[in-house]
Amino acid sequence: MGPIMGMNRTMTEERTAEYRPSLDNGREGGLLAAIGQLRGSFAGSALIALISIAALLGLWEWLAIAFDVPTWLVPKPSDFLGRLVSDWQLIAGHAVATSITIVEGFALGVLVAVPLALAISSIGALERGLYPVIVFLNIMPKTVVGPILIIWFGIGPLVAALIVFLMCFFPVLVDAMAGFKAVDRRLFYISRSMGAGAWQSFAKFRLPAAMPHIVSGMKIGVVKAVEGVIIAEFIASNKGLGFMIMQASSFMDMPLMFAGLVAAAIVALLFNGLMSVFERQMMPWAHTGR
Amino acid sequence: MTAVQSETNPSASALASSGGSSKGASIHAKGISKIYGSGENAFRALGPIDLDIKPGEFVSLIGPSGCGKSTTLLLVSGLEPPSEGSVEVDGMPLTRPISEVGIVFQDHLLLDFRTALKNVMLQQEIRGLDKAELRERAANLFDRLGLKGAEDRYPRQLSGGMRQRVSIARALVHDPSMLLMDEPFGALDAITRTQIRHDLEMLWLETRKTVLFITHSIEEAVGLSDRVLVMSTSPGRIVEEIPIDLPRPRPAHLGEYPEFSRYAQQIYEIFSKLGVYRF
Repeated sequence: MGPIMGMNRTMTEERTAEYRPSLDNGREGGLLAAIGQLRGSFAGSALIALISIAALLGLWEWLAIAFDVPTWLVPKPSDFLGRLVSDWQLIAGHAVATSITIVEGFALGVLVAVPLALAISSIGALERGLYPVIVFLNIMPKTVVGPILIIWFGIGPLVAALIVFLMCFFPVLVDAMAGFKAVDRRLFYISRSMGAGAWQSFAKFRLPAAMPHIVSGMKIGVVKAVEGVIIAEFIASNKGLGFMIMQASSFMDMPLMFAGLVAAAIVALLFNGLMSVFERQMMPWAHTGR
Repeated sequence: MTAVQSETNPSASALASSGGSSKGASIHAKGISKIYGSGENAFRALGPIDLDIKPGEFVSLIGPSGCGKSTTLLLVSGLEPPSEGSVEVDGMPLTRPISEVGIVFQDHLLLDFRTALKNVMLQQEIRGLDKAELRERAANLFDRLGLKGAEDRYPRQLSGGMRQRVSIARALVHDPSMLLMDEPFGALDAITRTQIRHDLEMLWLETRKTVLFITHSIEEAVGLSDRVLVMSTSPGRIVEEIPIDLPRPRPAHLGEYPEFSRYAQQIYEIFSKLGVYRF
């Protein structure tokens, strides 16, 4: 009964907040109540996540030792987490390079996709002419152009950034187009009746009205970017976590590869977090209660 | 009674005094029509119709859906050019969208990402009007429209009726000379509709803007208007003009007036004759 109540509490935290003391004073009390209370707060849920991850890693460590699994096959958590600490400068350097590549590719993607979406959704001829091309390019696996880009630009972070750009460009474009098209025509009448010029109409009405669509496109774009950047660095870079993992692979340096994996996950987490913060900033109404 | 009320109500007198309160405009339309497409595909959406609306008059346009009521509103505001005919506002021929206007549509069309007050203040931002003065006017309108406390709420956090009230505040905050409303209460429930109708009437009695009110509700048309123009089915033409001679402010339950039933009956009969109703 206790744990289930605790779970309910997480889901309807705000509403049940006032009943919490009476529950905690109930006869079940003790540890279960303490866990339930922990689940209610953010710090509590973070702590529980940490505990379960630690437990999993501990099990892994124990199994690896118990069955004497060689490090070159599956490294122990202590191996690669130790590596993460001892080689932190190397790993952090590559993580920063990867992050810069993501930012560059993603920023370029948004900066090209949004104006293009506006142009396509405003000019009918452009849509009929360009849309089939865009659909084709969207279907095409983006990493295919890697070798071509390498010939054009040489191996380096630039090529990785361009691949990231291609990967996150399409979701942003498609959603931004949908967003611009979904703007009610009568909103345009209202802006005209206020005497708004073309720029004001765009900046104060059309762009913000399309923003929820653009942001949801950007959310998909970020996921694609953090996913794509590693692959792009596998094939076309001499910097970044993908490159580091590739290099470690050729030396059979399993702990470093796993450390790179953890670092890549941290970078992905960071960018998704930043995107959530951005979303809250752009759409405050979606996050404030009734 | 009206005069007494506007004297005793401080917010009402502030509303009237701030910004010199522009008077209602006259609207004069001659033979306006709207035709979409050309040649064989040409489709006549409206008219030709004539309109003659006096300054400060409250005129309703009632008709079946698709008869061109909304098109009329767009032509009168200059947001769409008429295919034939011409529109004069205060004696000046209309060549581009007039800005001395507030528009309310059936959907609130508020911007999701702005709070209620900021939605209203958009009028000030875009028109470059005096901020302090417009803020005061907005505060008065929020007070008058029962929106106190909703200033910092986002539209999604407001009820349908509240949103539409914010939309009305936005249409009036810059003190326009005319108010164009396209089925503004169409999406509201009956109780909210009755209340908001009364609130609009009280505001109008104080400010005397010229109002062109488009509706398909006989109750709203008779309950609010000085004059009801009845339109035919598409392409809409004005088939009857009914002056409404009822005292103001009009009650929540219009059935109190035997005349109301007479007016309603008259409109029903016109609609039956036009084939809008087939019983």
